[in-house]
Amino acid sequence: MPAGLVGFVLATGFLVRGRVGGGWYWDAGNALGFVALAGLLGQMIALPGPRELRRHEWLGYAVLGLAIGHAFWFLLGDGAAWVYLVPGAPLYMWLGLGGLLGLAALTVLARMPERLRVHRRYRTFRRVHRWLGVAVVIAAALHVLLSGFYLPTWPQSALLAGAVLAACFGRSMLRRLPAVPVPSLGSYLVVAVVAVGVFTLARNLPPW
Amino acid sequence: MVKWGLLAALLLGAALVAFGPPGAVAERAPRYGGTTPILAMTFAHSDHFAVVACKTCHHEFADRLMGLPCMTCHVTDAKVSGKLEEQFHTLCRSCHVEERAAGKPSGPTRRCIACHLPDDET
Repeated sequence: MPAGLVGFVLATGFLVRGRVGGGWYWDAGNALGFVALAGLLGQMIALPGPRELRRHEWLGYAVLGLAIGHAFWFLLGDGAAWVYLVPGAPLYMWLGLGGLLGLAALTVLARMPERLRVHRRYRTFRRVHRWLGVAVVIAAALHVLLSGFYLPTWPQSALLAGAVLAACFGRSMLRRLPAVPVPSLGSYLVVAVVAVGVFTLARNLPPW
Repeated sequence: MVKWGLLAALLLGAALVAFGPPGAVAERAPRYGGTTPILAMTFAHSDHFAVVACKTCHHEFADRLMGLPCMTCHVTDAKVSGKLEEQFHTLCRSCHVEERAAGKPSGPTRRCIACHLPDDET
């Protein structure tokens, strides 16, 4: 699943102007963000059984790590990017920041013993965890769509929006399909490394 | 461990936003005769002569507003000063993206600091 989802998310950006990049540094940083978004979608789609909860948890840490890496990549390497996180910044940057903070809260509040401090009942926790996840995915997707660089046309935006809506609200349909296993942390990280490399090379190598 | 790591990342991120990152940093300040804080922009006519017609950017030639530097109107005229960022991003970046998509040498398409540096021409 990780390769398919990451491939789908990155492929939406390659449908139109797939060879147009923002430079090695910029594209590598954004590839981290795309892989994190694909991981988020995977977390929403997969239905972890009791034995897969540990995988779901570790995958959550990996997604959060990649999202933090995406944010810090630009803060540390582009001396003008920090201006887009202060008052006057465009909406898509606030959505990105909000999504990142939401993801951090989602991760921390799902861990024991923090979870029990906030939610006494497991059902309540599941509902809150799910809806906070939906909010984070939508904020992250809007961050990508409104920035408009990698998905410049409406069909590309519609494809990504469809995937996000299916992951967030198509659970009843997905239940009829064969159970989607939670990918292992190792497979996700391997796919992430390959995807970042392919994304960056494809957009920056000279035309052949 | 996870909590402390996240807290450290949050504090480092807040410090980077508050004080700016190490190295060359773009800062908003009143420029080009205006009072609204804006980022510096670098531009070299010599890089553009061969590929862009003057009137593509210099609409004042057609509007017969000759004599004033571009930025004078764009930062002081209330009708357009609020759109400065949007207008210049669209004008510069869309052209750079089209050139890049056509496989030609182009200016920066996305990297902020590549354009937002003090201008040697002014």
